[in-house]
This record gives sequence, C-alpha cells and structure tokens, in this order.
Amino acid sequence: MNVFRRLRKHPDSDSTPQGGIGDAAGDMKEKPDTAPLKLNVEGTTRPLPTDDTPAYTSEHLSFAQASDVGIVRTNNQDAAASFFATLSSAENRPDFGIFVIADGMGGHHDGEKASAIAARTVLAELTRRVYLPLLSMDEEQRPQITEAINDAILLANDAVINLVPEGGTTLTACVIVGDFAYFGHVGDSRAYIIHQGQAEQITRDHSYVQRLYELGNLDSNELSNHPQKNVLYRALGQPEMQEVDVTWRRLPANSALLLCSDGLWGQVRDNELVKALAAHVEPPTVCRELIAQANLNGGIDNVSVILVRIPG
Amino acid sequence: MVDTMQFGGGGGDDGHQGSLKPNQVLHTRYKIMGVLGGGGMGTVYQARDLNFPDVRKLVAIKEMQLLSNDPGVRANALRNFRREANILAALSHPAIPKIFDFFDINERAYLVMEYINGGDLEVILSKTKELPVEKVVEWAIDLCDVLEYLHRHEPEPIIFRDMKPPNVMIDSLGKVRLIDFGIAKTFTAGVKHTMIGTEGYSAPEQYKGDVTPLSDIYSLGATLHHVLTRKDPRLEAPFSFHERPLQNFNPKIPDALVAVVEKALQFNPVERFQSCAEMKAALEAVRYPKFALPMVAAGQPGNGGSMTTTFEEAATSAEIQPRWKFKTEDEIRTTPTCWQDLVFVGSYDTNVWSLKLEDGTMTWKYPTQGGIASSPVLDEQNRAVIFGSEDFRLHVVDARNGRSNWTFNTKDRIRSTPRVQHNHVFFGSDDGNIYAINSVNGRKIWEAEIGAPVRSRPFVTNDLVIVGAESGELVALSLSGQRKWTYRSKKGFISGPLVETKENVCYIGSQDGFLYALDATSGFNVWRFRTNGPVFSSPALRGNLVYAGSADGYLYAVNTQSGKEKWKFKTEKPIIGSPIVHQTNVYFGGTDEKLYCVDAESGKEKWHFKTSGAIVAAPLIVGDLVLVGSLDNTLYALPLVT
Repeated sequence: MNVFRRLRKHPDSDSTPQGGIGDAAGDMKEKPDTAPLKLNVEGTTRPLPTDDTPAYTSEHLSFAQASDVGIVRTNNQDAAASFFATLSSAENRPDFGIFVIADGMGGHHDGEKASAIAARTVLAELTRRVYLPLLSMDEEQRPQITEAINDAILLANDAVINLVPEGGTTLTACVIVGDFAYFGHVGDSRAYIIHQGQAEQITRDHSYVQRLYELGNLDSNELSNHPQKNVLYRALGQPEMQEVDVTWRRLPANSALLLCSDGLWGQVRDNELVKALAAHVEPPTVCRELIAQANLNGGIDNVSVILVRIPG
Repeated sequence: MVDTMQFGGGGGDDGHQGSLKPNQVLHTRYKIMGVLGGGGMGTVYQARDLNFPDVRKLVAIKEMQLLSNDPGVRANALRNFRREANILAALSHPAIPKIFDFFDINERAYLVMEYINGGDLEVILSKTKELPVEKVVEWAIDLCDVLEYLHRHEPEPIIFRDMKPPNVMIDSLGKVRLIDFGIAKTFTAGVKHTMIGTEGYSAPEQYKGDVTPLSDIYSLGATLHHVLTRKDPRLEAPFSFHERPLQNFNPKIPDALVAVVEKALQFNPVERFQSCAEMKAALEAVRYPKFALPMVAAGQPGNGGSMTTTFEEAATSAEIQPRWKFKTEDEIRTTPTCWQDLVFVGSYDTNVWSLKLEDGTMTWKYPTQGGIASSPVLDEQNRAVIFGSEDFRLHVVDARNGRSNWTFNTKDRIRSTPRVQHNHVFFGSDDGNIYAINSVNGRKIWEAEIGAPVRSRPFVTNDLVIVGAESGELVALSLSGQRKWTYRSKKGFISGPLVETKENVCYIGSQDGFLYALDATSGFNVWRFRTNGPVFSSPALRGNLVYAGSADGYLYAVNTQSGKEKWKFKTEKPIIGSPIVHQTNVYFGGTDEKLYCVDAESGKEKWHFKTSGAIVAAPLIVGDLVLVGSLDNTLYALPLVT
C-alpha cells in the first residue's frame, strides 16, 4: 500500500481503517490530520519535549498499520499484519493483539511472496494457538504464548522454504495480552517501545554488521554505511533456521510500541520516532508521519510501520 | 590460490532430484545403485564400477547441473570444473577421497570418487549423546594433518573453505575423511539467498571474501566447538563461540583443549595458530600431557587419567573446613534462619535448635510434637521465630529464649515454610488451606481453600499471595483471600514461587519438570523451560538470570527474557534444594551430599563441600558464614570462600 502518495492524491481518505475498535478510537480527541509533513497540526498542543507521548487516556489499546513502497523501488516486498480484539464486558478481559512485520528478500517477486506467506502463516497460527484458547477462557488450556510464537515462526519458515524456495524474509511478531507484550524475531525488522522520550529497541538485528558492532569491530558510523549492512545471518527461508529470538516486556502506561521494517529505521532516526510520537496522538497519523519522514529522507526502501498506543 | 568454492551460496536442500535412476549405466561404466545424498550442490549416487566385473567395486558419483542458460557462462563453468577436478585428482592423502574420473554429459558434470563407508560428523552427533573427548582430539589431529597437506600444496595452497561437521566423514575404520571439496559450488553459487549468509563456521574475514589458510583454522575450531558442545553455530550469532565456553557443556574437557579451540577461534587471524602444523602440535600436547602419567599413578587409579579435572577439584574441596558443626537427632530438611548472633535450625527430630553463630553452641531448643519440614523464618518486628510442624501446628517462638508466643492449629501437617509480610504470617497446610494469621497475636484473618496439600512457601507481593499446591494449581489470592487467578501445571508444586516485583513476573518450578515464568497480574504463561526431572527447588534470581535445580541433577541458569538456558551445571544426583544467590555466586546443595558454589554468570564451579548426607534445603549466608543442613543430621557452618 502506498500510503504517502495516496494521501496526497486523496487527502480525505483514511489509509488505514484500523485504529482500535469500539471505544478505543472514540476516546481520542485529535482532529483528522490532512497534512502529513507538517508536524504542528492546527488544534493540537505541542507537548514539552520530554513528554514523548501525549496523554492517551482510554482503557484500551489503539493501533494503526501502514506500508509504503518508498520512492526508489518499484515493488513492495514488505508485509504487515495486525489483529486486534477488545472486549468491553463484565468479564473484564484484557485487550489482545497480534502484530507482524515481514520484509521479503529475493528476485522475481519471491521477496514479496515470502513476506506475505510468512506474515499470514504467523497470524493464522497465533490466532489458533493463542487467541482462540484465550477466548474459550479455559484455565486448563492457558496458551503457552512464547512457545506459540516460536512455533509459528518456524512454521512460517517451513512455508517459505516449501512455497518460495528462492525467497527469504525477516519477521518480527508481537502478541499483546493486556499490558504484556511477547516478541518473536528473526532478521532485521525491529520492535521498539517508546516511553518517556526514549526509544528502546527490543529486538536485535540478525545482521553481520550488527554482529561486528557488538564485537567492537565496527563503530556506529561505519554501521550505517557498511557495504554488507544488508547481509543477514538469520532469516526465514533457511533450512538451518531453528532459532527464533523470543523476549517479553511489560508495557509501561502511556507508552507506544512500534514495529517496523528497515525501510523505517534505516531512514528515520530514533529521536525522530520519538518526535513523531510526541506530535500526534492518533496512531494512523503517526504511521503516516513516519512513512512520510522515511520518504523525505530518501525513501530508498519499502517502509512498513505498526504502532500500538498503550493508555496512560 | 585455487578457488574450490565460491563464498556466498546459502545452500540447503531444496529437493533436487538427480537425473539418474537405479540400474542405469552412466558413461558405459558406472551402474547406479542408489542415491547417497543430495541437496543444493547436486546429487551423490552410489554406483558400481563395471570395469571390475568380478568384484563389487563401489564408487560415489557426484552429479552437478549447470544452472545458467547463458552458453558462455556454461562453457566457463565446465572449464573451471575440469581445471579443479584435475587439481583434486592429483591430491594424495589418506584423509582425502580419491578422484577416479570426471566427465560431462548433457550439460551435467560428473565426478567419480572413492566410496566411503561411514557417517559424517553431523550424523554421528545426532546419533550419539556424548563423544569421548579423546576421540575428538584424535580426529582434530587428523584434520590438522590433512589441512596442512592442502595448505602446503604447490604451486598454490588449497584452501578447503568449508570445514564443518557434515564435510568430515568417519569411515568404517574410524579414520577421518574430508569430503565435499566445494568444486560443486562453482555451479550454484550466487543464485539463492544472496542476502543471507548461513555459514556459521566461516571466519570473519571470509565474509569480506578474504580467505587464507588461517580461515580454515577458524572453521576447524568452529567444527570442534560444535562437536564438543553440541551447539550448532549456524543457529547462533556469528563469531559468538566465546559466549558458549566448552566446559559449560562438558566439564570433562581439559583446560588445554579449551585453550586450543579458543586460539583457533580468535577473531583476528594473527592471533590464531599460524599453521595447521602448529595447531596439530598443540593438540598432540593435549593428547599426551607431559606430567599426566605420574599424577594418575599416584593419585586416582582407574580414573581415566589426565582428561579429568578430579585432581584439582579434590584440592579446592580439601581447603574448606567447617568453622563448626552441630549435630541434631534427625535429618535436617530445612533452611536455617538468623537473628542477631543466633541461628535457628529445624530438625526432623521435632526440635528447633537455637545456636550461637560464632561457635555453634546451643542456647535453647524448642520441642514440637512432629518433625520439622517447614523452615523457620524470622519475624523481625516481633523478635519471633515462626515455623510449622508435622504436629499440625504453626509455632511462634521468642527468638531470645525459645518460649512459645502462640501456636495456631490446622487440620493436618504443616510443611509449607511461612512468609511474614504486612504484619501477617501466610502459610499452607496439608489440610488443603492457606492461612493468613495476625503475626502479633495469632488471630486468624482468613483461610482460603486450595483443595490439595499446600507445601510450597507462599510469595506475598503488595497485592497478591501466590502459592502452589500438590494438585498442580498455582493460585494467586488477593490480600483478603479472594482467588484472582489459577495456573494449572500437570503435576504438583513444591517449589515456592518467586515474584520479580518490578516487572511483576512470577517464577516457579513444577514437578512436571518445567520452570515457569508467569505474568503475576494475570497468570498467563510468559515462557516455560523444560528440565528432565521434577523441579522441587524454588528459583533464585540475579540480573536477567533465574536459577533452579532439577531432579535430573542439573542446576540451570535460564535467561528471564528469552526463557532459554544460559548454562547448566551437572551434579551427581537429583537436586531438591533451592539455590541462593550471593554476590556473584550461586550456592546450592545436592542429594549427592555436596554444597556447591558456582559462578553465577558462567556456571563454573568455584568450590564444593561434601557432607555425609543428602542436602535438600537451601543454604543460608550470614556475614562470612555459609550455613547448610544435611540429612546427616548436621548443620555445617562453612567459611564464605570467594
């Protein structure tokens, strides 16, 4: 989806219909944003620089997703998938979300096929293994969420190997239950938690340059210009791939969770992420801003973003 | 230099089927018997050489397909193939399979080689549990020998470039054979996964296309590391071998061998062995250590000799002498507690004993009517020692003189260690209830029915009481006793839960063999870690590692974020007691009668002390003493050696 360009042609159309269900979206007061490149939108108050996230007061999470081909490339090899459920009922169930970003690699449309297959395989498996058991509310059958994420990504790996033997993809997945986030990760897409003006990178890039950097053989300047910066040592589509990074975080109140492909983090610095979040409340607006920013800074790659707001 | 291989191919099995069928005769000479293996590099057949009609001479034939459609590229590839096959055919070394013939037919190239009856190291690894270290050293010496031969090849050295377990065969005589010279990669490299490198054995400089004989040394180090640790480097971050020290996986590996592998794996080539001959010499020194024989003869006959670290262990252990010992009249199954200059220990002889910390002399003892299996705990505010007894009662005793303050009756034995928090005592009973009692006067505030004996020690946070039961239920109650959530494991909980209160994550071991991490607010499972025996031991935390012992005999250190093992420490018998963390060490006792002190980060043993009975409870550290009770009835006060 080409959010940035489509927006300029059709300023009134909402690129991403998702944005929380029911009262999740209804609680937000910000006006619709029609000028994505202008950070100060009429009618909003710009918060102090240290307030990264303007107060988003709701009982529920809200989210948005956007993906764009960028300026240089002709096809979008990224895939993004979001599944969000919120229940307002006497049972007081936690909000639930599955969020996936995949960045495909390979010629002849193999990259986009690989990322698409991987994203939907993970989504399907996590729905089956985690969401449906949660809904059944059977305490005997509490899902093993970390194991489910691990297995879902390995299943996606098998699917890519079988269906797109010449393709590969990164994959970063997050399952949220209430204020608890579970992550699974392979490759160099990223997950961040942005809180109190700081962006914490949750995932570790499986790239050679990152590895050389960790070992002290590269400094941070060399990192972004290294000729091998696109070489991954782990990705889906490898028969040897058996190891998925898994981790978890408790999401702080009034924070944001961001998943993105390298088209975003390669073009937009961490402090710009924080700034965009400080300037806007509504997740679709933030996603549009970030994609616009990536394209403004060069747009050399596909860009995909999923943003989840955690209420304060 | 001869490029037998091009770097960059991701490789892998993509289901290529060979073009030849069984019984087909290739090149009017080789009768195909079957397929030996296949993959991205082509198919390998077993065939019979018909030029020897009277004997069954078997050969291996590798078939490679030209992938490009460009006639120029194809012609070039075939030219390279012939050139390299000629070089390989001229090699002569016992560890290198002989090349008998090569030819191309219908745009396919064939290499006819000696057939090796045996298994490659990858297969051997998957089929065995442990390989003798001596054997691995033998193989390593032979591999150094063949690599040295290749590196000394004239006019140019041959660099193998692809040293890894699947390329090392062990033949039917137990000899090392190096297979799969990368000749085939000329045909397939650069097509698939150009963005993904998977060669976990390759040296850092190889990724820049800078390959020297020293790169083979790195890959040999990586291969040895994989064989010795059984951790496949293709599944780990590149160049991360130093994060997986050999002795964490196999304490029997001698230091000298560790040093050889580490040197081969140096990031910087100039810090590695500068030739395979040098590495071979170092390995031979490991095989025949100079002073090994006299030591074995004098010390420990029949103990396998120089490859063990027994001698050194005995030395460190001998240095530790208890400051004092105190013998009770029955087994000590509990952890002591301390107040000022006194230590209190419960014994199965029905007494709680009060001893002077300084010298272990008794100041008072408090008798109950049943064995003590619930560890005494201190209520600092009321200067009281609180413990349960198998006489069904909770006893609260004045720490100064051992007089009873009050007791509380339950309907069955109490084996759960109490928790004193928020001016209340929380504990479970075999009667299936958990109780909250006012710690000053012994008045019951509430009891909550759990439905099965509660022997686990409750953990109390600012809003929850979490406790495990024999039924396999882990129950979280509000401070007023209302059930908030329940987590069910397949078997009972004896282990006490531990809540990391900043993130509010609860860790607990279960008799179903898992160590669990749960979201303490909701009871959802964060991760679970499988051990091979029931986990009775209550976890301990330090930084991002959680420690617990298992009845499989290992103490595990598990990463709290990933739920994956950082290290495990092998003892000789099941671990029942809980570990404790003190500064940079973990202390725990085993049913192998030993108290261990292990480095918390690396899992390396610092020292151990042997008692005369199994240790089933956690030790206690006070000042410069480690206190531990044993089923030999004795409480030991050991100096805190760091």
